[in-house]
Amino acid sequence: MTVFTCEDSPDAMLTCIYDAWDSRLGHRNIRLMLEPLYETELFCSYRHIDADSEKAGKVVRSIQKKISPGAWRMVYRCAMSSNPEKLEIIYRFLLYGFAYGSPALQMLQEPAVAAFFELDRRTGNEAHRFMEFIRFVSFPGDVLVSHISPKSDVLTLTAPYFSDRLPSEHWIIIDDTRRTAAVHPRDGEFYLTRLSQEEFDRLSAPAREDDPYPDLWKGFFRYISIKARENKRCQRGFLPLWMRKHVTEFEP
Amino acid sequence: MEVKQNDLSLQEKLNILADAAKYDVACTSSGVDRRGKKGSLGNSLSAGICHSFSADGRCISLLKILLSNDCVYDCKYCINRVSNDTVRATFTPEEICTLVTEFYRRNYIEGLFLSSGVVKNPAYTAELMYRTIFLLRTRYHFNGYVHVKAIPNAPAELIQELGYLADRMSINLELPTGESLRRLAPHKSPSSILRPIAQIQSGIENYRLSIGKERKMERHRTNRYLSGTIFDTAANPQLNSRETAGLLPPHTETPARIPPARGSGSGPLPAVREGKPFVPAGQSTQMIVGAARETDFQLLTASQYMYQIYDLKRVFYSAYIPLNEDPALPSADTAPPLLREHRLYQADWLLRYYGFQASDLLSEDRPSFNVLLDPKCDWALRHLELFPVEISRADYSQLLKVPGIGVKSAMRIVSSRRTAPLSFEHLKRMGVVLKRAKYFITCGGKMMYRIPIEENFITRQLVGEDRKTAWELEHPDSYRQLSLFDDFHFHVQPQPDDLMKSATGQL
Repeated sequence: MTVFTCEDSPDAMLTCIYDAWDSRLGHRNIRLMLEPLYETELFCSYRHIDADSEKAGKVVRSIQKKISPGAWRMVYRCAMSSNPEKLEIIYRFLLYGFAYGSPALQMLQEPAVAAFFELDRRTGNEAHRFMEFIRFVSFPGDVLVSHISPKSDVLTLTAPYFSDRLPSEHWIIIDDTRRTAAVHPRDGEFYLTRLSQEEFDRLSAPAREDDPYPDLWKGFFRYISIKARENKRCQRGFLPLWMRKHVTEFEP
Repeated sequence: MEVKQNDLSLQEKLNILADAAKYDVACTSSGVDRRGKKGSLGNSLSAGICHSFSADGRCISLLKILLSNDCVYDCKYCINRVSNDTVRATFTPEEICTLVTEFYRRNYIEGLFLSSGVVKNPAYTAELMYRTIFLLRTRYHFNGYVHVKAIPNAPAELIQELGYLADRMSINLELPTGESLRRLAPHKSPSSILRPIAQIQSGIENYRLSIGKERKMERHRTNRYLSGTIFDTAANPQLNSRETAGLLPPHTETPARIPPARGSGSGPLPAVREGKPFVPAGQSTQMIVGAARETDFQLLTASQYMYQIYDLKRVFYSAYIPLNEDPALPSADTAPPLLREHRLYQADWLLRYYGFQASDLLSEDRPSFNVLLDPKCDWALRHLELFPVEISRADYSQLLKVPGIGVKSAMRIVSSRRTAPLSFEHLKRMGVVLKRAKYFITCGGKMMYRIPIEENFITRQLVGEDRKTAWELEHPDSYRQLSLFDDFHFHVQPQPDDLMKSATGQL
């Protein structure tokens, strides 16, 4: 068994898929894993693959052409997932995808396709939830800053939505777990960046004291609930506790 | 005593007017797709976005407030009725606009839901609302979702103008029979509610025709594959007058629409403005469940009627919560009929997505929903002759009738069975709820277990499954974890004869 490994970035993963396919070792004899590897197996040889944007681009093009543009969006969402098995899941789906073309997306009987479909659905749902539950805090200079700690890397999945929603605002969405940020200048295009420790600390400062709106919102949130219908369990089903970390109305 | 408006801070006003608005159910931000544009704030997604969930588990999507709770009407069930002694507050249009834009920028909300008590008179109130929305759209450049309540008896011109600014409009039907409306909402009449609904409907139709769409609102795309749905114009058996007996509108023998009011005597309304959206997300309404003596059958028939005749996008149901003491109302300690409300929503979905008609689910002889079973299971058990359904051959509409199979999973079944046969294991992974579906389907000619197709047996099985959910709905948050330690006071004090026994060594 040969194991192809790479770091957790879209380019590296796609290059890894390219090289694994190209190795001609037989799909049954290879596996794809993400680094870091915690336990290596004795009877496996490991090959580290470095990101190569040219190879990655080829994979993207062939997915779009041979399967469908929608399939590429699904692959991208899966690549953003927090599941450690994601690379293997994508690879096993692509076997079907390249063999059958776009009908492969409908073959939910196949465990490989079903796993891929499920992973895509989960990541998509998480991204959607963060579109709903991201909260901005107003910083001096009319900058809106938001912190999130998602499980999957939803930054690139949510930022386009916010650049459509708030086109004429300065805003930053910061992924606390990965220390990455989507920055959007007023009337411009958003870009992704990695934050240094100093920048991160500056942007994590507590909210402005003189901003009345968080308190107004908390008051509204309390009063809009009907006492006679109270059902915290239903609330937790829609808005799980782990997502409430940076949500204004649940701040103590 | 006169309460001075100026004494209230913005926070107090917001709290009072949110508190007063919370009994309105509709909080959806769905039905319209609109891209953002530079220089203005906001966009809209047709799926709708919930931004939070309040402690009662209801979604908060819009800033749901009243413009004012200073109402001159005296509807018996309403918290803001004029005979109630509550603090009255009124927002200025600017206050609302700032709240909406500042909340929206922080991603708290998806837009505004503006309703109001009737201040002074309907015309004055509607004008205040119009001023607010006009400011919001023009000076504050707000491009997000706006839902406005039309005030019954407001001038037709103002409703027309509001329609060009709002995404959705609604007028609450509240009580579906003219009789209970007279009894509980003496200032409203069936025609004062239905006339604006008809007016908005014709405005929507004109707009849709002017941009080359069909007259009727789009429904979920899967309705194309069904025949005989309530939206099907060709095969639509008109609700016969017996079914709608006593329901709104008063003259059921002519299902033709009430003509829209031609602005109170001021000549015809301006024709449709070229390409200017008019209530693009459609209109909705709301009915109270359990305030008067309406049966589930009457409520559901009224909904179907509203969907068919007035082309409403949604009908909402709100379980009656006793707020006022009144001889005409249920007593103040009535629990809100949450399960009944839940069943009505289930049935409403069956009408809009599953191709059912109100008369399939209920009838005059069986006017109430089964407490223990959801409406679809209940229907399936009465139609066992149609089951079991073979997964590999049944068409989409047949699959949809199976309890435990929904719109998504039926679609997945139809598209995936083209390539290879499906097993129960596959169905489970696709999202079919086998605990209900297993009694009604076969895969490759076989049922999952040896199951007799017998009404009593299946009912017993299903009721066992469903009772838990029904109980949880009726008793939210009333469960508790059993503790082994002295939590429930299981300790029994020793009885005299126990002492005797221990003394004599019999223990």
